[in-house]
Amino acid sequence: MTLANAVVTAEQITAIAQDVWSSFLQLDLLPVENVPIEGSSVTGCVHVSGEWGGSIFLQCPAGHAQVAAEAMFAADPGSLAAEEISDALGELTNMIGGNIKSLLPAPSTLSIPSVATGDTYTVRVPGAVVIEHVALACGAGDLHISIWKV
Amino acid sequence: MLALVLDDSRAMRMILGRIMREAGFDVVEAGDGKEGLERVQTGPVPDVALVDWNMPVMNGLEFVTAVRSQPELRRMTLMMVTTESEHSQIVRALAAGAHEYVIKPFTADAIVDKLSLLGLVA
Ligand SMILES: [Mg+2]
Repeated sequence: MTLANAVVTAEQITAIAQDVWSSFLQLDLLPVENVPIEGSSVTGCVHVSGEWGGSIFLQCPAGHAQVAAEAMFAADPGSLAAEEISDALGELTNMIGGNIKSLLPAPSTLSIPSVATGDTYTVRVPGAVVIEHVALACGAGDLHISIWKV
Repeated sequence: MLALVLDDSRAMRMILGRIMREAGFDVVEAGDGKEGLERVQTGPVPDVALVDWNMPVMNGLEFVTAVRSQPELRRMTLMMVTTESEHSQIVRALAAGAHEYVIKPFTADAIVDKLSLLGLVA
């Protein structure tokens, strides 16, 4: 496989997510069956541009995002505003995206994270295809991570 | 001792602020490089700044470069705390004047160990 075509493996993505979730949230992520996330969810996204171009998405149920944000802010259950939950999910996306970027062909730059929340929304990157998808879960719910390549 | 925590994520500022307070620092915060620069130019000069790279308006590398161009800010120690881990970028930040580099995710111990190496905590 040439460097330009090199992609990260599901195992590498899993290890990065487990590291972030355990060090910042004290939650243990484990691989699970890939079942679409139903109901209200939160999706974080960062784009990579440069020697490698594409996007990294994190999606989890709204309840999981809330638990994650409460752990980061050391906040009481139910006390955070939607904006604070988006902030936390954005930073978790930034950390996972940045560490995945370090495994991709360099040099490249990482965008500021963006976050979508709701019951029904579709996220697409025009012209990009999903090249890796990982489904994980902890006590707070599922976490899906996907890599899109332009 | 005064620390500036510079990161566009409020959650991350809270985590880093907590670590710095526990290490004995007073903490001020800013959400981007421009706001951070205004803070250090108008308020007391912090002993150390923890600087994120990826921020809107003015990023961490631009902040480090701006701080290093101002003699009155020379005594401020600069520590990058960022998800940016490309070797060439780390070299750029150190060349621009950052003293230390911590990659996210980090542990509180990793931050305190670096502060200790820099002589900022006992
Ligand atoms: Mg940032």
